[in-house]
Amino acid sequence: MDSRIEVPVSVRDVRIRHDRRQRHTPDGVSFDIAPGDVTLLLGPSGCGKSTLALALNGLIPHAVPARLTGSVLTGGIDTADATVARLSEKVAMVFQDPDAQIVTGSLLDEVCFGPENLLLPVEVVLARAEEALRAVGLWERRADNPDVLSGGGRQRLSIACALAMRSPLLVLDEPTANLDPAGIDEVYAVLRELTRSSHLSILLIEHNLDAAIDLVDRVIVLDRQGRIAIDGSTREVLADRAEEVAAHGVWLPVATLAALRLRRVGVEFARLPLTGGELSEALDGIRSLPALPSPVPRVRSQVPAVAVRQLSVTRGKKRVLDDVSLDIPDGDFTAVIGTNGAGKTTLVQAIAGVVPPPRGRVRVGGLDPATTDVRALAAHVGFVFQNPEHQFVENTVESELSRGLRGAGRHPSPPTAEIEATVSAMLERFGLADLRDVHPFLLSGGQKRRLSVGTVLVTGAPVLVLDEPTFGQDRERADELLGLLSELNRAGRTIVTATHDLQLVAEHATSVAVLAAGRLLAYGPTAEILGDSELIARAGLRPPPLARALRGVTRHPEWQSITRIADLPGGLA
Amino acid sequence: MSDPFALTTGAPRYFLSRLNPLAKLAAVLPFMLWLLLVRDVWTPFLFLILAMVTILIGARLSWRTLLLLVAGLPAVVFVLSLSFGLWTDASRVDTTPLVFQLGEFRFFRGAWLIGLATALRLGAVLALALIPGLTTTGPDLVRASVEHLRVPYRVGYTALAAYRFVPRFRHDLDLIRQAHRVRGVSGGRGPVAGIRRALGYVVPLLAGAIRHAERVSFAMDSRAFGAHESRTERHLLPLQVRDGVFVGLFWLCGAGLLVLAAQLG
Repeated sequence: MDSRIEVPVSVRDVRIRHDRRQRHTPDGVSFDIAPGDVTLLLGPSGCGKSTLALALNGLIPHAVPARLTGSVLTGGIDTADATVARLSEKVAMVFQDPDAQIVTGSLLDEVCFGPENLLLPVEVVLARAEEALRAVGLWERRADNPDVLSGGGRQRLSIACALAMRSPLLVLDEPTANLDPAGIDEVYAVLRELTRSSHLSILLIEHNLDAAIDLVDRVIVLDRQGRIAIDGSTREVLADRAEEVAAHGVWLPVATLAALRLRRVGVEFARLPLTGGELSEALDGIRSLPALPSPVPRVRSQVPAVAVRQLSVTRGKKRVLDDVSLDIPDGDFTAVIGTNGAGKTTLVQAIAGVVPPPRGRVRVGGLDPATTDVRALAAHVGFVFQNPEHQFVENTVESELSRGLRGAGRHPSPPTAEIEATVSAMLERFGLADLRDVHPFLLSGGQKRRLSVGTVLVTGAPVLVLDEPTFGQDRERADELLGLLSELNRAGRTIVTATHDLQLVAEHATSVAVLAAGRLLAYGPTAEILGDSELIARAGLRPPPLARALRGVTRHPEWQSITRIADLPGGLA
Repeated sequence: MSDPFALTTGAPRYFLSRLNPLAKLAAVLPFMLWLLLVRDVWTPFLFLILAMVTILIGARLSWRTLLLLVAGLPAVVFVLSLSFGLWTDASRVDTTPLVFQLGEFRFFRGAWLIGLATALRLGAVLALALIPGLTTTGPDLVRASVEHLRVPYRVGYTALAAYRFVPRFRHDLDLIRQAHRVRGVSGGRGPVAGIRRALGYVVPLLAGAIRHAERVSFAMDSRAFGAHESRTERHLLPLQVRDGVFVGLFWLCGAGLLVLAAQLG
């Protein structure tokens, strides 16, 4: 081997502009990655993080229509002069969607795919495949079809495929955004093991800092313009310059956010904590903490907005929902949680009548979704799909919104002044006023999401139901949506959402329904449910990061039951 | 649905699974083409029998497939023979014996025989196609084509990757249907409304498909796909003596049946 250690990647003054876009993102970025380092790349959405990742193995400019200026040297090769295939020996990639990375029909074939393309001898291909599959704990399942793996399993397979390339640098672009909590844990267990046992350099793009933080050596923060704002060791960046990082629209670990809030009310931290363990240790070292704000008593309405009675749903031979009964009070924000396959989606779809439930089991606003016509139901309950594009049926943003008001679809009545006023107000409300004549598919991701919520709200439905609305989205967008839902909830709408992001639930939901294997384990106020660690474990879930951290605070027992940042002292109240 | 990618470890007596996919294709293709041209009843009938016997001897079948093949296929051929018979111009066959009469409508044996010939032809072509169809996996066919027919591996493997899109599309389509129904896109009954509805699914489905295809191609490129003129193949599918023997025997049997059919007809 070469005696001098090669820099895995060296980026110089890189600016990238996608064809038909005005701005350069990233815009003039330079950095080197040191051998063996784990570097975390952070930045607000649209700052060019993923674009930069695609430039590291030459997909930009070779496969993506975009212009790149400056230079990217990957393993000493200028990416402008080499093919993506050749660069794959210098940098391996793992992308967000595990389903979009699988080509063949068995785990073994899949891992062999890369080395086979490199024309390596069969023995070498197999040796590499075995090593890679063993490294992610999938060797025993090598004959299986990747389809039978869980999401986490498939993403581990993608990592194995990357390892089989034997490249000195591994780039992971949002590897856990499409996974449930169990899958996220699996992927990070594998990455942790890899950083311990090998000299692999890793560039990680990840919004879930709580999962990633303990293996990161260095953090680079891009600002909205796509320039490097901060670059330094994990602690220097995320702890010492936390407020600056947050100002760039970047999420912080929940322990750091909690500490920032406490610092405002005079709690002194020698150094801001990054992990739950550090937070609880720091709090234990403080003799007296400010009094906890007394929880605002929330009056739960006695009138149910949604009533579910002994609902069972069978699909094929499997019982997806088993004797579920619950009353969701009017004006409540209810989160439905559970592992994959627990029945979350089936329950929310039954409530909204998307898949009509058996008769007489569900009542929404006095109607039975099983027997009510779609249009009549739309005035009482609206359903927001995971992918906003699926529910767009018109050619402009404006008609998308006015559709629900115009009456029967085939012979739409002309827009009246009243409809026009409602639509204009809605466009204004969701920041879409300039885009009223644009085709819905041409909106940005965040705009599409807002429009999809708007189309459902425009009919005035008092109950809004959502299925995993933050799946596959970055933190900023997820937060924007949840903020919007909270606002609607405060204005009196009942919100019901299925989700697997428990910290999100903790921050926003007033009630939580816990499902496991089709049965309702519990339904009650958020703090009560999330505070019951035995219940959460029984459902196969883990408490949200803040709850986990504060449970370790032994000196201040009253802090142990806190699950959300809003319940800490330091609020604006 | 069975897993098209599963490793097939056929027991030795199921010889069809061990043959090269291209040999199986070569054996049946000439007769499939010939069957498209014949008009009599005997030729397709004999080939239907030949194909079924070959499959029953040489392939491992589940009970379901077995039932479909032995009972389902003949039943379909029979029903088709009647319905094709109904389409036949009665004035051309009214010299043949009457089978049944419904009011003004008379069904002659001649009409049924014309229908039967067409139905048997379809059945025989299908049964012949099932010889490679039931015993070959998509990946093996691609590998064999790349190995022996000089199909560029970039084309073959891209086709394989596309094969994986199908279940995803089905899932997406279900979701889009649900979403459109919730948005009140019913548009009434009948074929016109149905087509309008289906057109509405195209844009979201395509938008999703194009994005997905782009991601898959990025993932493949990132793993050195297309790096060299050829790639390592771990499963070689060489053409062996038994492949030649099978093709020869099958052609011989087929030729014999053609002669037999000519004498019977």
